[in-house]
This record gives sequence, structure tokens and C-alpha cells, in this order.
Amino acid sequence: MPIDINEDNLKHGLLGLVIALVEIIRDALKHQALRRMEGGSLNDEEVERLGSALEEIDIAIDHMKEEQGISETVKSVRNGLDDLVDDVLDQMVNPERWAKEEVKK
Amino acid sequence: MSRETQEVDSKVVTSEADTRGRYLYCVAENSQEMDLGNIGIDGNNVYTIPYQDISGVVHNCPAQPYESKDNKVVEDWVMTHETVVETALERLGTVLPLGFDTIIKADEEEDPEEMVKAWLKEDYQRLREKLDKVKGKVEYGVQISWDTKIVSEKLIEKGQELKDLDQEIKSKPKGTAYMYKQKLEKLMRGKIEKEAERCFKDFYEMIKGVTDEIKVEKLKKEEEPGRQMLMNLSCLTDKDAKILGDELEKINNMDGFFVRFTGPWPPYSFV
Repeated sequence: MPIDINEDNLKHGLLGLVIALVEIIRDALKHQALRRMEGGSLNDEEVERLGSALEEIDIAIDHMKEEQGISETVKSVRNGLDDLVDDVLDQMVNPERWAKEEVKK
Repeated sequence: MSRETQEVDSKVVTSEADTRGRYLYCVAENSQEMDLGNIGIDGNNVYTIPYQDISGVVHNCPAQPYESKDNKVVEDWVMTHETVVETALERLGTVLPLGFDTIIKADEEEDPEEMVKAWLKEDYQRLREKLDKVKGKVEYGVQISWDTKIVSEKLIEKGQELKDLDQEIKSKPKGTAYMYKQKLEKLMRGKIEKEAERCFKDFYEMIKGVTDEIKVEKLKKEEEPGRQMLMNLSCLTDKDAKILGDELEKINNMDGFFVRFTGPWPPYSFV
């Protein structure tokens, strides 16, 4: 399938990719923050500050996606990555299926 | 009357132009030479080439694969391929469907018909075994999805831990509430995963009881927002579709669950 590149959709796609990556980093941060909170290494004030900061990041990202109209692009980048990881995991968990697909090729 | 014979004649002439290939739709458990009519790809005449008690279902074609850059054209071809296999299933009995674009080629001096026979002969043992396995059986597709929102709500209702956390969030300052919300979501995901596993096991047992063989297929993304596919199965059965249908109906009637039931298909996933 030919890829239609013009300045507009290039910008669109690139921005979508960047925001998708920012979202993934944010998710990793969230995960870490949660672990620390649950592990008890943060006091109440620190939890409050961390939560506020993360919430602000959420709001900023949502705002940007809406403003630039890239919600769908971001979603499709993340879905694409999810599918990729899914495939790799599926091959590791089901070596039989993987072997079969190799034979087919 | 004379016009009719002329038409038939001209067809014979055109089909002999380049017919070094035989396009194979499926192998059928049937020993008769049969004409299935012009139901093939591009309206080609589909007929059987028997060897002992099995036959290849074919049409005459050039000795090269069907190729097109136009997706719509390819889609039509594949659809026709499937319809022919279904017709063969109806008219000839048990069939082993073959993939799209399976073509047996013959060289200049060889008879393409003999080539098909030679292939049937060579692989007879293997084909015979597979035919016996799927004999009198058809395939059904079963896809079960659930509505994640309904499931989450039900889980909150049931789990005291989640309920407490849900309440606690409301009394916390903004940033802390956010963190607690993340915690709730994480707990929720874990619970949903466990619930999915439990449902999968339950449903699998239910379906296993009314089918001969189940193949677990890869999950697909649901088009419908808020829905998530739980299981995607191909089921082989020789029993009445109603038995499987009734069992699936039970699942479909559960709150938040949806079942997609397709078939009967030729046993594509089991050959």
C-alpha cells in the first residue's frame, strides 16, 4: 500500500508518535509511583504531591491530543505497539502455533 | 437449438486456450466424476477428478497463481473459493478445504488431470486420515465477548476491598485521590483478569461438553467500544448445531456477555 506523505499528515503522525511515547513513559511513572506508595516509602505529603503532578500530566496530554486532533493517531500507535508485543508474547507462550506459522511461510 | 450447441462449442475452445493448471478448492470423500457447474472463480466450470474413493474439486486454469493488486478482486476470489467449498460440502459430503490459490501445474507433455490424480495418490494416506477425522463433521466459530463496564460494576458490587477503596477516594485531597484512583484501577485490572480466566475455564468446559474438538484461536480486537473479546474458538462437531447453540444461548443471556456464533463451515481449522 502506498504511503501518502504530505507535510500535514507527516506532522500529524509525528506528533501522534511523540504523544504515544510520552503516554507510555507516563504510564511507567505511574506504575513506579504506585509501587512506592504501596510500599510505604512515601509520606502523605509526598503522595499528594506525586498524585497532583501525575494528574497534571494527564490533563496536559489530554488537552494536547484534543487541540491537535491526534487522539485517534495516538490510539493507533499504541494499538500497533500492543499488537506487536502481543504477537511476541503469543509466540513465546504458544511455541506450537509459532512453529506452524513458520512452516506456512 | 443450434445456437446452444455453438455456445457450448465456443466455451470448450476458450477453456482449452491455457489450461495447464488445475485450481484445487478441496479434496472430497467421493469417488464420482461430477460437474458442479460454472460456480468457480471467474465463473469457471468446477468438477471433480476422482482417485479411488476421494476426489479433487477443481477448475481448469492457466498454470500461474491468481494475483491482483486490487484488494476487492482478491476478496471476491476468496469469497468464491469459500462458496465452492461449501457447495462441495453440501453435494459431495466430507471435504478437506484447501487454501486459496492452490494450483497444480503440468508441464507441456503432462496431462494436468493425471497430475491431480498423482498428487491424490501420493498423499492418499495423509488425506484419508484427515478425511476420517473430520468425517460428517462441520466447524463452527464461537466468539465470546464481554462489556468491561458492566463487569467492573459487578466486581465492585461483589468485592468489599474495592468498595472501601472507592469510598476512601472521596474523602482524600486531590493528589492523593488521584493516586488512590490509580490503585483502584490496578486492582480492578487484576480482578478483571482473574474473572476472565474463570469465565474462560467455565465456558470452555461448557462448550467442550457439546463438541468433538476445540481449537483456541487468537483474540481479536472488538470493533464495538467498551467490549473485549474473551475467547475465540473453532469448534468441530458432528452433532446438531442446536445443542451447541443452546449452550451458547445460556452464555449470551448472562448480563454483559455477548456470543457470536457462525457456521456451519467446512472444517477449515482442522485440516
